[in-house]
Amino acid sequence: MQIQVRCSCGAESCPEWAIVELQGVVEVQPSFQDRLQNLVIGELCRPSLQENYTFTVGYHELTGSKVTLKKPLLVLKKVKYMDVDQGSDNSSAEVELDVIGVIRHKILFKTRPRALISKPQPALKERANAAGSSLSN
Amino acid sequence: MDQAEMGCSGAEAVLNLRPNSSVAIAYHPHFGSYDDLMLLELDEKLLPDVLQQRVTLRGQPDEDAVLCTQSKTYAIKFVGTSNSSFLIPPSDQSALCENSQVSDDKVYGQVGQQRLAPVIKVAPGNMELIEISPRLDKLKLLLSENPYGSEEVLEVEDLYEGKNKTGLYRWDDLVERVQASNDELRAGLLALSAVEIEGYWRIVEEKYMDMILRMLLHNSVLNDWSLDALDEAEVVRVLASDGFPHKLALHCLDVYGSKMDEDVCANYIWKLNGRRVCVHFAREILKAGKRKMENFMVEWLKQIPDGMQASFDMLEGEVLTEKLGVETWVRAFSVSSLPSTPAERFSILFRERSKWEWKDLHPYIRDLKVPGLSSEALLLKYTRRTQPSLDAEPVFSAR
Repeated sequence: MQIQVRCSCGAESCPEWAIVELQGVVEVQPSFQDRLQNLVIGELCRPSLQENYTFTVGYHELTGSKVTLKKPLLVLKKVKYMDVDQGSDNSSAEVELDVIGVIRHKILFKTRPRALISKPQPALKERANAAGSSLSN
Repeated sequence: MDQAEMGCSGAEAVLNLRPNSSVAIAYHPHFGSYDDLMLLELDEKLLPDVLQQRVTLRGQPDEDAVLCTQSKTYAIKFVGTSNSSFLIPPSDQSALCENSQVSDDKVYGQVGQQRLAPVIKVAPGNMELIEISPRLDKLKLLLSENPYGSEEVLEVEDLYEGKNKTGLYRWDDLVERVQASNDELRAGLLALSAVEIEGYWRIVEEKYMDMILRMLLHNSVLNDWSLDALDEAEVVRVLASDGFPHKLALHCLDVYGSKMDEDVCANYIWKLNGRRVCVHFAREILKAGKRKMENFMVEWLKQIPDGMQASFDMLEGEVLTEKLGVETWVRAFSVSSLPSTPAERFSILFRERSKWEWKDLHPYIRDLKVPGLSSEALLLKYTRRTQPSLDAEPVFSAR
């Protein structure tokens, strides 16, 4: 079988998506587990002219930078549709892949988070995957 | 911090973040796992092909999918990450959600006036492309299901109108089943000497090709044709009167010869290829089994057309010789009958003979092409090289 890769957006105007990437996992407090939608994760700041960024999640602050990807990433959406065969009783499921975006840059955070202890307890907190993390609950 | 601009949200807010500004990152109103959304890493130079819709994925449900451009084939590998990759779409991504009626209020609600970039999904990783050789062994398998032979010439109507069209494949059928790009598929058909008859791609039985070739040579003697300058129209006409279809007569010229420039009267002229014709007769002789070298040479020279020169080195990659006692014997062993994947190819070669000298091995591996692997690297990977003494020939055996 053949799966066609489509680009309904057109070659010149493929929408650009972004990625914010961090090492580790963002933990959600149990009471919010089922309703993540609309919940703020954190604040992304660009403090100066340079392409340096900070990302504050709960009382953790991460520092990182904007990185240009060596190879772009395409965002693909799998589309299933029923193709009704004229000649027979069967209708086959056809699959297509639609290119809906391209990613050329990401904001990458790969340092250990810095604890901003004076901040109040938030709904979300950052759990560092680095060894010896001393996050209190 | 900069005052927010109302109406600016999404990927642009992140990518165009100005100095001394901030943007809130939040879970999208429709945040979810979106298994139908995936990331594919792509070389910049392949981007035009994809965006202009010249790329397809090919394969059967039980096979690993491959991605094909017009001329190349790529394996698809998923690479996971332990990082959290928050995927942020551009602001008016209506293609994404079934219900795109997300009001600005709902999006901005929690953070008041500030810009907001919503995360639609946390990507578990992305897919990568690795260039591979086209998987053409299946093509040979499919076309060998129903080779074209002499019985078929008489039953043409029955065959194509009948319900039992097993083993018959059109170009579109092959594209669905063979994991190769269009260009590579065409090259594969050429390498198999396949011919398109009534829209179906067929391999012709050797027995039938032998019949046509012999008839062509017989007629060239009868009509005093030069084998270096055969007139296409005349050849086809004469062979037709002997019962060979037009398409097959042309195919015979194509398999055993090359088309020359048109002559003064714009007739197509063909020149027979000495090596291809001689190899054909050698294969025919050895079909019955191995022969003693002297017997084989006598028989072979007797069968090849007058004016053609045969030399044993024409048969490299087609025959193997072995010494049994004081006698040298010859038997058929054609590279064209071997699998095209390196691991299987070397396995069969070493099963045939445990040790190979380079000059004997080379004709059986020189057609192996693996993207990213040189022929030396191929040898390193699949063989063990030993050299009994400094002035002896190196010998290759299985790893």
